[in-house]
Amino acid sequence: MKFAHAPAALPGPLPQWDPQWSRLVTVDTVDGEHTFHVLDTLPALRAAGREPTGTILALHGNPTWSYLWRHLAAATVDAATAVEGGRVWRVIAPDQLEMGYSERLAHDGLPTTHGTGYRRIAERVTDFDAVVTRLLAEAPSGSAGAAPAGAPGAAAEAPAGHPVVTLGHDWGGVLSLTWAARHLDVVDAVISLNTAVQHTGDESLPAPLQAALAGPVLPTSTVLTDLFLRITLGLGQGPIPKEIKDAFSSPYQDAAARRGIGAFVADIPAQETHPSYAELQQLGEDIAGIDVPALLIWGPKDPVFVERYLRDLRTRLPHADIHRFEQASHLVSEDADVSGVVLRWVEERFPGQGSPAAGAAARQPADVTAGAADEPAGASASMTSEAASTADGPASDQAQMIYDALDERAGSRAVASVDMSQRPPQSITWTQLSSVVDGIARGLQQLGLQKGDRVSLLVSPGNNLTAALYAVLKAGGVAVVADAGLGPAGMTRAVKAADPQWIIGQRPGLTLARGAGWPGRRISVTPVDALGRVAFGVETSLTELSRTSATEPIRTPEPDDDAAILFTSGSTGPAKGVVYTHARLGELAAVLQWYFKVRPGTGLVAGFAPFALLGPGIGATSVTPDMSVTKPRTLTAAALADAIIAADCTMVFASPAAYTNVCATASELSEEQRAACANIELVLSAGAPVPLPLMDALAEIFPEAAIHSPYGMTEGLLLTDIDRQGVAAAEAQTRHQGVCVGTPIPRVRFAVAPLDDAGRSGRELLTGEDAVDVLGEFVVSAPHIKAGYDRLWYTDAASKRDELAGLSWHRTNDIGHIDQEGRVWLEGRLQHVLTTAEGPLGPGGVEAVVDRVPGVFRSALVGVGPEGAQVAVVVIEPDAEAPAGSRQKPGLATLELADEVRAAVAEHYSTDIAAVLSSPPFPTDIRHNSKIDRARLAVWADAVLRGEPVGKP
Amino acid sequence: MKVLVTGASGLLGSSVARALVEAGHEVSTLQRRASLVDGAQDHLGSVSDPEVVGLAMAGQDAVIHLAAKVSMAGDPAAFEQVNIEGTRTVLAAAQEAGVHRFVHISSPSVAHSGDSLVGVPAEPANPRTARGEYARTKAHGELLALAADSEAFPVLVLRPHLMWGPGDTQLTERIIERARQGRMPILGSGAALVDTLYVTNAVDAIVAALDAVSEVHGEPLVVTNGQPRPIGEIIERFALAGGAPKPKLRIPVKTALAAGTAVEKVWELGEHDDEPPLTHFLAEQMSTAHWFDQRRTREVLKWEPAVSIDEGMAALAAHYGG
Repeated sequence: MKFAHAPAALPGPLPQWDPQWSRLVTVDTVDGEHTFHVLDTLPALRAAGREPTGTILALHGNPTWSYLWRHLAAATVDAATAVEGGRVWRVIAPDQLEMGYSERLAHDGLPTTHGTGYRRIAERVTDFDAVVTRLLAEAPSGSAGAAPAGAPGAAAEAPAGHPVVTLGHDWGGVLSLTWAARHLDVVDAVISLNTAVQHTGDESLPAPLQAALAGPVLPTSTVLTDLFLRITLGLGQGPIPKEIKDAFSSPYQDAAARRGIGAFVADIPAQETHPSYAELQQLGEDIAGIDVPALLIWGPKDPVFVERYLRDLRTRLPHADIHRFEQASHLVSEDADVSGVVLRWVEERFPGQGSPAAGAAARQPADVTAGAADEPAGASASMTSEAASTADGPASDQAQMIYDALDERAGSRAVASVDMSQRPPQSITWTQLSSVVDGIARGLQQLGLQKGDRVSLLVSPGNNLTAALYAVLKAGGVAVVADAGLGPAGMTRAVKAADPQWIIGQRPGLTLARGAGWPGRRISVTPVDALGRVAFGVETSLTELSRTSATEPIRTPEPDDDAAILFTSGSTGPAKGVVYTHARLGELAAVLQWYFKVRPGTGLVAGFAPFALLGPGIGATSVTPDMSVTKPRTLTAAALADAIIAADCTMVFASPAAYTNVCATASELSEEQRAACANIELVLSAGAPVPLPLMDALAEIFPEAAIHSPYGMTEGLLLTDIDRQGVAAAEAQTRHQGVCVGTPIPRVRFAVAPLDDAGRSGRELLTGEDAVDVLGEFVVSAPHIKAGYDRLWYTDAASKRDELAGLSWHRTNDIGHIDQEGRVWLEGRLQHVLTTAEGPLGPGGVEAVVDRVPGVFRSALVGVGPEGAQVAVVVIEPDAEAPAGSRQKPGLATLELADEVRAAVAEHYSTDIAAVLSSPPFPTDIRHNSKIDRARLAVWADAVLRGEPVGKP
Repeated sequence: MKVLVTGASGLLGSSVARALVEAGHEVSTLQRRASLVDGAQDHLGSVSDPEVVGLAMAGQDAVIHLAAKVSMAGDPAAFEQVNIEGTRTVLAAAQEAGVHRFVHISSPSVAHSGDSLVGVPAEPANPRTARGEYARTKAHGELLALAADSEAFPVLVLRPHLMWGPGDTQLTERIIERARQGRMPILGSGAALVDTLYVTNAVDAIVAALDAVSEVHGEPLVVTNGQPRPIGEIIERFALAGGAPKPKLRIPVKTALAAGTAVEKVWELGEHDDEPPLTHFLAEQMSTAHWFDQRRTREVLKWEPAVSIDEGMAALAAHYGG
């Protein structure tokens, strides 16, 4: 098959494409002059009166022309015209030769893996060089030397030079990185989406590529038919609109036009004999020399560029920021807001004078009143008082490490931990625990565990998990705690995202790891036989490691080293990994110790898994009651009392679900058990707010105890606190919307980012008097909040965007208000805000009222209708135990129930309830079975209220 | 102000005329039957009769054009006669007479092509997609009114949506009557969200438009209570207020749509002067959402409904002796 030469061309009208962006550029290449079609925003910028002060050089792969970069082109031009004084970014994105609208060369035959005449990697890199060198010269100051802004402080300096940033996707990723590596005198930063640098012989190519490369299939799938193109365009997570698919395919209407796609695929060096193999080895090394800032944006659902290619890139670019769009596939820029991440990242790295990043700190008021109570549990202070100073709280001259308390007690024969679920109950002394932890830590280091290695712990709560966790932390490993509460799919996604080097697990965990093909060296809890070792790839066991003799000291981590990755429950999207450093974990332990007055020897019953883990860290004797920790409702009053007796405990930590069952079984308590309960001084509930009736019932069982319900989240486990008297006082007030979670604990600062009419939280932060009664997103700062999100650069940057008072803040996504007394009232999640004609409305307040209507098990307030004109709809999940006569069928609630709901709401709020719907059981998260998926309920309610058949949410 | 109200023999028209009299305006009316509004001067005749209209228009400052043929079925020519030609005649006469405020009463159905309307603003009227003769001719009439709009002759269009209340025979009375006979069905789940408008709120809004038209004109505004409710709930509450049992009859949507079409066909064959019991249009109205974004309306009219749905239902129950 012969192919004739075809000149470069300009695209016709295409959706989302500005013809101004299209240029034809002729440059000298390895085999003479060729013409390239280039996406270049320079003409558009100049038409808008802007001169570029930064350039992004982008290179496509497959999808196979620069149409891929249209969103980025539009976003950068918009940003350049929208913000006066910000850096103006130009985008230059050539179509590779023989691809897109660039020139087609003459050929005597179809491309093959070892054939000649078609472009190979090396030539493509020089093509790119020729085009961008020519175009960079057009705008002044093409020279580099722009110093990247590492710290926020650098932002205030004058804008540096004219930074040049490369960006690539697919094969264009590796080509652009190669060019960057060889032009570090010009390049100031690099970005890549899904790509692959190196293919080593010991791992087979992903199946889809193997198929495409298989000899005779190659020309058929890529050139003779448009199969390859169509498959690629089918890889999006949502369906890609037909007109967009057509635009991607527009330069490839016939076999001759598609020859370049074949050549592209044929140049993938699958074997060492491939002509490009040596080049690929070389560029792999070159890329590892890139020392400028780097960003990797990844769509993990890509069937071709799978996790191991990201791992390889991370190894070569260990300093790279990473953002994973968990829901995105190969077409990551079609599936996710790639242009948003790119723009934000380059703006943060290279802030312009007067750009938002540079000016934010200066525009905010300098004085902050910390919203903090200044006494331990029970006391409350006015938020507006002068008191709150950061001197309150635990002394912190020296960073506390989470294993310090354990080390301090290494010589103590007292009991450190009791596991009541064992028969007989298993006790372990501080000496024993300390020695086991040290043994495992040494053993891990002897096995080769390096500081920063991630260790996934697939061990159920109890002494084994406690020992493994503290050993990993002490050895400098990063504990990856993906709990069963995420569900198998969520857990798999979480572990894959964290990508641990080690897995410590029991048989169920190891089985899951093997089945899901997780990476990492394997360690079992107890020794496994030879067969098991082979089957699970297990090297050794905790039991064996714990016997490691003390030949050399344990190399312990530094306070700023990562310590642990926990996961959010994932009720508003895929679970996010939350990183804690040792310093922050230490602060958490310190604040728990100080705030709840935990003294050496204090005995606490840990009916809530995270607290069982924290026990040794705060120096408390922790007793795990006989219950299934993953099923809190299995905790009985008698089991709890027995746990109290086992270590003369004075504190009880559990979840509201567990306490509900404790109250329900309180009548079974014996005299001795009752007496033990009377010794309890502190009852702490965690996981969700506790309703007053439950607190009152607990007060009957624990007559001497203060009953507390702190509020927090994975990113900040302890933020506010309220006790029973506080809840009672709040309930007596009808003026306030939402659920009162008390006042901030010492050293926690609260600010409010007010909501606009579209329900979004703005840049402005209010504190002190200004924040009182303003509906907004809570933004918090404390020494014990998260260090960051794991491999979610964009999410992390967004959550930390505030710089008020020079502190580091966390956007919680929780909304509500703070009252005159400094109490925090929760009104829901940011993404659940209703945007009514009267303004934004949080669902939490109305829900709290509706939940108390007889016949209602739980409720959700959702908005239907367009943004800004939504009406409020109450969706209830009926009480399954309601008398038969008042049962609600899915759909419209009965008139009687609707009347009761509206009457209850009207007592507190002026919100008009357009409809009351009764739903089948609510969709909720797996971990808590309580976080309602309001987004799904809203979609369901919208359909029902349009008159569509009543299905399931 | 001297105000001419056309179509003042109906509930809304007479109430508007009465409110204007009470507000101290000099009110004339134009319709075929006596308006029975104390203090208003009646002109009897058809809005499509240029002579009668010209006479009534003489010396007026403002016009509220309510007269229309409202029905779900009937001869297309009869609709055109009143809703298009009548409007054309009234507009011409008003311009001729130097009227400088013109409030045209239209209907949300002029912009409704049959799909669900969920929180939408007032879309442009479209005679080609409007459903049924009434909506088609009202759409045409609205376009005529808006085309006549100018600085010298400001026109504001109001589209009250599903008006109800004591004395309303068009909707309220019919539903209650059918419910009493056990013939009032709920279509599908009955959850389709619809906007309605309590009658006195409609009157207030039209009076407010008379003020607003000098400031803002040349656009249509849908007028509702701003409290959409599931259609099934509205029907049940009407029935209860009217002392009728709760409707028990439930019909699947598809069945109703098909039946509505069939009934219309049969009705057209016979010599019926009254309304068919079920039309495809009515079935569609009762099974799809149609509610509106009221922000622009309230901003322009500087008006808010004084009577809530609950208060209106209580008044309705009192009216029926409940």
